[in-house]
Amino acid sequence: MEEVQFEEDFEKYLNEGLISCEKCHFCHTVCPIVDTRITQGPFGINRAIYYGLKWNELNEELRDLVYSCTTCGKCVAMCKKVSRALPLVEIFEKAREYFLVEKMLGPMPEQVGVLKNMHVRGNPWGNPSHERTKWAEGLEVPFASKDNQVDVLYFVGCASSYDAQGQKIAKNLTRIFKTAGVNFGILENETCSGHEAKRMGETGLFAYLSEANVEMFKDAGIQHIVTGDPHSFYSFTHEYPQQGNGLKVQHYSQFLNELIEKGNLKLSRKVNKRVTYHDPCYLGRHSEIFEEPRDLIQRIPGITLVEMENARADSDCCGMGGGRMWMEPPQGLISSQAIAERRVHQALATGAEILLTACPFCNITLNDAVKSLEKEETIKVMDITELISMSL
Amino acid sequence: MGVNAEQLAEDLKGIVGEDHVHTDLFERANYADTSLPYDVEEGDLPDCVVQPADAHEISEVLKYANQHKIPVTTYGSGTSLIFGTKPKHHGISMSTERLTSLEINEEHQWLECGAGIKTGQVIKELGKLGYFLPIQTQIGSSMGGAVSINTLGHLTDNMFGRPVNHVLGLEVVLPTGEIIETGSKCIRRAAGWDLARIFVGAEGILGVITTVRMVLIPMPQTVDAVGFFKKVEEIGHMVGMMYREKFPLPMDGEFVGEKACKVGYEALNLDFPEGALAITRSMGRTKEDASRNAQEMVRLFKKAGATEAFVLDDPEVAEKVWRVRENAMRWGQEKGLKGYLAIEVNPVLPQLAEAMTELTHITEGRNDLIGETEAYLYGHVGSDSLHCLFAFPYTWSNEKMKQVVDEIWNLEKELMLKYNGVGGDWGWLPHRVPFFREKYGETAYGVIKKLKQLFDPNDILNRGNLEGEV
Repeated sequence: MEEVQFEEDFEKYLNEGLISCEKCHFCHTVCPIVDTRITQGPFGINRAIYYGLKWNELNEELRDLVYSCTTCGKCVAMCKKVSRALPLVEIFEKAREYFLVEKMLGPMPEQVGVLKNMHVRGNPWGNPSHERTKWAEGLEVPFASKDNQVDVLYFVGCASSYDAQGQKIAKNLTRIFKTAGVNFGILENETCSGHEAKRMGETGLFAYLSEANVEMFKDAGIQHIVTGDPHSFYSFTHEYPQQGNGLKVQHYSQFLNELIEKGNLKLSRKVNKRVTYHDPCYLGRHSEIFEEPRDLIQRIPGITLVEMENARADSDCCGMGGGRMWMEPPQGLISSQAIAERRVHQALATGAEILLTACPFCNITLNDAVKSLEKEETIKVMDITELISMSL
Repeated sequence: MGVNAEQLAEDLKGIVGEDHVHTDLFERANYADTSLPYDVEEGDLPDCVVQPADAHEISEVLKYANQHKIPVTTYGSGTSLIFGTKPKHHGISMSTERLTSLEINEEHQWLECGAGIKTGQVIKELGKLGYFLPIQTQIGSSMGGAVSINTLGHLTDNMFGRPVNHVLGLEVVLPTGEIIETGSKCIRRAAGWDLARIFVGAEGILGVITTVRMVLIPMPQTVDAVGFFKKVEEIGHMVGMMYREKFPLPMDGEFVGEKACKVGYEALNLDFPEGALAITRSMGRTKEDASRNAQEMVRLFKKAGATEAFVLDDPEVAEKVWRVRENAMRWGQEKGLKGYLAIEVNPVLPQLAEAMTELTHITEGRNDLIGETEAYLYGHVGSDSLHCLFAFPYTWSNEKMKQVVDEIWNLEKELMLKYNGVGGDWGWLPHRVPFFREKYGETAYGVIKKLKQLFDPNDILNRGNLEGEV
């Protein structure tokens, strides 16, 4: 009986959202996954879910459309600006949850193993959990615990823990924290924040992972978290059960600015580079942190920051959010590579030597796009921490 | 005669390639769906969606459709507010979305674009070079669609002229598959016969526009002004005064009626004076010129009884004022009324204020379904376009929604006839066919029917639109 109620609630929620669409098509003009087909864009996905429910045609074709969204939120910003302010990303995520939990249609086939890895090993790639802190070997990074209370918990995140490129962020941040004299530590048993599980509709797994992390935060007496992963940052500040309960959570771009303002961190070496900055979706549009990364970049002596055509709230997506990092878009739907390449073209148009970002996901994706375009000699992709590190 | 959908799709794949023919349910539903408040029926979908790459492929699709007498409904971006893109007889839904080329030639002073490119993209690219697109529809609309409707939007119409005044040439595929060129690459438009003028505004029934060439227009400098009025009718009187007293016309102007303002201010948490508002965008060759003209608008607003009027120097305030207008279609939803339908009435100038009064009270004392709706009045200052949005609960059944749509369209027809309007923004086909026949008579309607027969002997292109089928 309860299950019926559960399903009814889902359908009611979806219908409320889906029917509210004004069908103005404004969202279509900004969506990164639109190639030519209507169903590739927010309006089309929205209507497809609507008619799928109405005609009881919940099938793999519909699943593919629903999972094609990068959850970048550009459509939501547009809808808020000129139309009915529909929470389109939330609607699509609810639909994913409905497909996964109720209909056993989701997630995408390639994502099944990813979710299992998150559950069993605490990271999407299925790397051994005991290797999560391997990046810190020889760096003397303390573990935060009840017996070793720290001022700041550095939450590393999966990509910076395991991916070679992401690890650069962790290593650079460690060096920066140490230079600034920050009393910080990492969790010995840190696990996935669950952000991407939620994006894929696996809300149960998200709840499980978030509870595990929160429990560890409590045990170690954590009051202040700094992270270099905007996805974890968003979940901590908007989705975790403890959000608003006094736990201070910052992206490093906020924290490092504060350290500089207090005089604890000095950027003395000149870095004579022309750079542009890519706003990660979950730091920029979703968390509205646009200026802090720019302020930080401009504190580096010698730097010239130039903006891309689409910046801040209008920034384009790198293409890998919303679980797309772990799926091959079905035939006919635009690839993440193509989306990332479009963004790299915008960066190239600025004449910048370095394309900066502040997210390990974006870093990986944009780097791959630069390689596929064979532009490694023209532009390099870096995290802001790399540049800061160069300036110490 | 029925169409074998599988065979149709296979044959079309041979023309446009496998990736550009879609037979899946959701793609077909999306191409059939419109901004009508009621749903498209599963049995009314096109048999397939086809996305040709260029005029040649469109030509081949049309030749094939002609040979097999299969209806083809063209689709630019689906933003039509008169529902011309909805297929009425199944067949092929043919999208121009892949025709997205754009060349801005400053030496020759024209732009040339594919029909499928969005106006927003063209506006953006022109803006980078300091030019202005004299088509101010919503940014998601396609260039081909906007030119087919000959729509421009608002007061810009009076200032710059319609697309037909700016089109230097077109590439068009006739319903029988032949490709023709009109006009030239010279900025001088033809006197006498100019075939482009037959297709601009033909609403897609005579051919498929595939390429548009338009003259470049330098971007003017602009300054906005706002006026707050106790009653919306004062804005109506103000417009007449603007023309009679030869005020410098703004290039754009909007108004929002009392009820929409009230809900809008509440939703956006704005502390603006009660009543209605008018906002204008004055232009000039220099910022000083534009500013002077905006000051003139402030003088006009005050002369017409505005309780408050000022130049919008503060970008934050300007954004708030524009948002009240831009979001006007949302205000019904703020009150939980998510179903909606808007109409367009264009009164002759001396009756503008009277029409505003009638529309402000349009739902009062009625026994029909319109009486159960909430009506919000807004529109365009100076171009005499009054829009009235009727909002109602989305929980109404499809049948009830169809009934209210019929009532609203009939009301629009009666108001247009009463106030001698023409429908300046959205075009005629299909839902305004009854209005056209009543206003101009069967002989005039017959002329268009004969033209259609001449161009499209098998009536394959946008079948049903000229017959008023929705």
